[in-house]
Amino acid sequence: MNSQTTRALEMEAALEQIEPTIERKGLSDDERVERAKQAFLRKLDGRKAVDLDTCIHCGMCAEACPFYLTTQNEKYAPVHKYRLLRRLYRRRLSPMRWLYKPFTPDITIDDLREWRHYVFDACTGCARCDMICPMGVNVSSLIRIVREGIGAADLMPPRLQRLKNEQRDKNSIVGVDGEYLRNVVATLNDQGADIPLDKDGADTMLLTTVTELRLFPTALAANAKILNKIGANWTMYTDAFEAANLGYVAGDTKALRTATARIVEKAREQGIKTVVVGETGHGYQTLRWLGANTMGERLPFDVYSILEVVAQAQADGRLELKQQANGSSVSYQDPCRLSRKGGILEQPRRILESMGYEIRETEVHGREDYCCGGGCGEYVLSTGSKLRHKVFDLKRHQFEDAGADEVVTACASCRYNLLIGAEKVEWDTPITSLVETVAAHMAD
Amino acid sequence: MENMTLLDFARGPGLQWALWIFCLGVVWRIVGAMYLLGNKDLSKARRTNYIRSGLRAILTRSTPAEAFEEKIRFQHISGYAWHLALFVSVLFFAPHILFFESILGFSWPHLPNTIILFSGAVATALLIALLIRRATHPVQRLISTADDYISIAVVLLPLITGLAAFAHIGLRYETMLALHLLSVELMLIWYPFSKLMHAFMTFPARYQTGTFFGHRGIKA
Repeated sequence: MNSQTTRALEMEAALEQIEPTIERKGLSDDERVERAKQAFLRKLDGRKAVDLDTCIHCGMCAEACPFYLTTQNEKYAPVHKYRLLRRLYRRRLSPMRWLYKPFTPDITIDDLREWRHYVFDACTGCARCDMICPMGVNVSSLIRIVREGIGAADLMPPRLQRLKNEQRDKNSIVGVDGEYLRNVVATLNDQGADIPLDKDGADTMLLTTVTELRLFPTALAANAKILNKIGANWTMYTDAFEAANLGYVAGDTKALRTATARIVEKAREQGIKTVVVGETGHGYQTLRWLGANTMGERLPFDVYSILEVVAQAQADGRLELKQQANGSSVSYQDPCRLSRKGGILEQPRRILESMGYEIRETEVHGREDYCCGGGCGEYVLSTGSKLRHKVFDLKRHQFEDAGADEVVTACASCRYNLLIGAEKVEWDTPITSLVETVAAHMAD
Repeated sequence: MENMTLLDFARGPGLQWALWIFCLGVVWRIVGAMYLLGNKDLSKARRTNYIRSGLRAILTRSTPAEAFEEKIRFQHISGYAWHLALFVSVLFFAPHILFFESILGFSWPHLPNTIILFSGAVATALLIALLIRRATHPVQRLISTADDYISIAVVLLPLITGLAAFAHIGLRYETMLALHLLSVELMLIWYPFSKLMHAFMTFPARYQTGTFFGHRGIKA
């Protein structure tokens, strides 16, 4: 067992130690239901109305969902996952609500508790369903609203509740705070990395994640090596370094905003022009695509994934990569929120090819790639562990059929989930990071 | 005389009322949905050619991506076959064209009756097959509502009564014709309240999803 797998297992054990929070007292069932409904209503706009009115209940979205495909459980069909939202729309907002209401059941507390399983344990928000719908319905955005409704009712899985509260109140996740970052950086700098902390006058700030700091600090060192090589004037801030956003994951929009605001305010205060997000899918999404909408204003800086930085630096001639010597082949695991929901599809492949890797694509890849099974907090949930291992197995078979020497990804959560899954089935194909691979091939 | 009265009603006020309800209902439903508006996406676009992204999605969603094709082949093919057979039966049957001409003021060539009979039979058989699938496939059975079943029924009725009138099966011709017209009127009245509205909503839905993903640089 290699060291990164050992650390992944240690993190899994640490997550298991998190005491479940009992559902918050003081909220009656009626209040929870009302909160969920209000959260639904806040997000139901004309676009969602068109989506809900267009769905013909063909059920094709099920055939895209890795959770349905691996279990054949019809309740995991994406269209079923947003059923509560449809009900509320038909009772409260539809132009035909006066007709629909008597025939449409109201949402109950039992519904919210039942749907919690569907939208947290059996959905990573991977958005594969968005790509299959023949009517063009943005299915995952509807399911997302259900997650937020359940979050508003404070009925999210207890472990996520604890974690998002910790991030909201203490600016740390599983104990990973500014001091933890300082210690990791000190160790990395001792090993030769040059990571500037809390530097004044920087125009670029780098974000990392709890997963990277606990499991893959080498990826942080790789980010630093790349940014230093291309001459970026960059830093990390000990009070605003976390790209992971547990508010987003838990469906708590207030906690989502708190975590986003920390980064935005810090960047504004320091005059930051560019925020670079390390290897994380949801961290990239919550800032790059949701950040401005969360804050209600355009962000005062540009947001790039480290992959975009590498690709641009290569194109500009600021970064040269050496050809790998041993003719290895790789399969690239597309992190859903970087690729299908983020638009970063070609860059990682170009980068890998530039280093001389033969890319062996899985049967479905890129825009239609399967989720690793652990995205959007899924890998934190004990209740979802059986399901995510089934999805991992689907993914593993895809990799095995492709027959590459190693699997490369660009998301610490994907990497963690793949490592844990591989360990459980004793699958020994190396699982590595794209940014670390780049750092290892940088010309002197 | 009684049958003629029924036919007169079906051809006259019945049709007029059905068309009014259809038109007003459709407009009400579309305007009502659009009235909710949408929140502007404040994130910096990766691609700003929204019209192209939207139109692309309208086109590309007409066929499934290669990665999905095998899994949804039956629904994909049967869906196309059903709509095609329906449109051929509705739009290219000589008496239908005369009817449309009386409303629109212009006409177009018709197809031979044997082709119309065949397409009508195919449409009916396919719709029954899709109904059986809906009632038996675990996912579709779970997600189906009364709207799904009623909509199939009100579309089946004009097909069955039309075929019966055409083939002189069952009641006398004038009665079957009146029932055929009344069943069409029932469908028109049901239309704006039901999933049949998807005919008007599909392209806008595809367009907006195309622009949503296009904003992020993804061809959806």
